[in-house]
Amino acid sequence: MNEVDELRRAMRVTERADRTGLDLAGIMREGRRVRRRRRVAGTGAVAVAVAAVVIGGGAVARIHPPEPPAPGPVATAPVVDPTTGGPGPTATADSGPVEPRPRPVGAVVGTGIRYGDDERVFYVVPVDVPELPGVTIGLAAGRRSPTGGLTTDYLVNDVAGSDRRPGFHEIGYDPQGRVPSVTPVPTFGYFVGPAARIVGTVDGRHVEARLARWSEDPQLVIFWFDPGVLTPATPLDGIVARDARGGRL
Amino acid sequence: MARGDAEFVEFATAASARLVHAAFLMTGNHHQAEDAAQTALVRTYASWSRIRGGDPYGYARSVLVNHLVDTWRRPIREYPTEDLPERHGGDVADEVATRRWLLGILGTLTPRERAVVVLRHYFDLPEAQVARELDVSVGTVKSTSSRALEKLRAAGLTAPEPQGSRR
Repeated sequence: MNEVDELRRAMRVTERADRTGLDLAGIMREGRRVRRRRRVAGTGAVAVAVAAVVIGGGAVARIHPPEPPAPGPVATAPVVDPTTGGPGPTATADSGPVEPRPRPVGAVVGTGIRYGDDERVFYVVPVDVPELPGVTIGLAAGRRSPTGGLTTDYLVNDVAGSDRRPGFHEIGYDPQGRVPSVTPVPTFGYFVGPAARIVGTVDGRHVEARLARWSEDPQLVIFWFDPGVLTPATPLDGIVARDARGGRL
Repeated sequence: MARGDAEFVEFATAASARLVHAAFLMTGNHHQAEDAAQTALVRTYASWSRIRGGDPYGYARSVLVNHLVDTWRRPIREYPTEDLPERHGGDVADEVATRRWLLGILGTLTPRERAVVVLRHYFDLPEAQVARELDVSVGTVKSTSSRALEKLRAAGLTAPEPQGSRR
C-alpha cells in the first residue's frame, strides 16, 4: 500500500457512520427560511414588503409596506472617488418604470457593475426590527434593469443597537456563498463617519472599497468591493476606514 | 410529507455522515464539523427543487468545502481527544491513534490544501471535478495537491502500527 492509499484508508476508517447529531427537522426549517428569503429577494418590492428578512441569525427585520408604485425618475447617488473624494464616473439618472419596485430611501447608488443589461445598485430601505427601535434602515443590494426596475437580491441591517452609531455596520456577503451565481452580490455594507477610504484585508492583501455617501445623511458611507478586486462571498479578515488625512477612524 | 421533502430526508440521511466526516477532516473538530455539514444541508435543502434532479451530493459537498475554506483561513490544530468514538468494530485504541495521527498531519496544511486532499482522496474526485467544486483551475488543484502531499510526507505520511497487534 503506498502512502496515498494509506492516507485514503485512514480517512475512511475514522468515519463514524453511527451518529452525526444532525437535526434534520431543524435543517429543513432553516432551509425553508433561506428559500423564502431568496424568493423574497428575487421577486422585488411586492414580496419584499410582506416578508420578514433575517439577518445575522437573530432579529427579524420587516421591511415597511410599500406605497403605490411610483413612476418617475430615480436619482442615482454620485460615487465618491476614493482618491479625490469627488464624484466618480457613474452619476446618472434614469427614467422610471411603472412597475412596482422597492422603495429606497434617498438616492439609489449605481456601481457600474453589470449583469447583462442590469446594473448592480445599492439603496437604503426602511425596516422594522422588533424590540430594536434604533434600527430603522437596512442596506439592500439590488439590480436595476434598463427600465429602472429594481430587484432586491440581499438586505443587511443591524441586529442590535443603533443603525447610526459611528463605525462599521453589518457587512453583506453573497448569500449564495461560493456557489457560482450569475448575479453574484459584491461584498458591501455601510460605515457611519467621515470615511474617505475603506480598505479590507483578505489573505494579507489589501483591497480598496468603492464609496458613495447616502443622499439623506452624508455621514453614512455606503461601500462595496468590486468583484474583480474581491471575489464575492470571500470573508474579509479585516476592514478599516480612514479619513481624508489617512487617519484611522 | 411532500415528495421533495421525503427525497431530501432520504438524501440527507444517506449523505450526512460523509459530509460530517469530511468537515471533521478539514477542521479537526466534531462540533465545527457538524455545524458545517448542517450549513451545507440547509443550503442544499433551500435549493432542493433546482438541484434534486442533478447532483445534490456534489452541490452539498461543494457548499461544505467552500464554506470551510472561507471560514477557516488557518490550519486548525485542535485534537479533540476527549471526544472518543463509539465502538463499531475494530480496536478503539487503534482508531484513536489513527485519528490523532491523521489530524496531526492534516493540521500542517492550509484550509485550501486540506480541502483538495479531502476532495481528492476522501471523496475520490478527479482533479477536474475538484477544480469545479473549488472554483479554481485544474492547474491550481494539481499544484495545491502536490504541495499538500509534500507537506504530509514531511509530517510523517505513514500510518501508525496498529496497537492491537502488539498486545
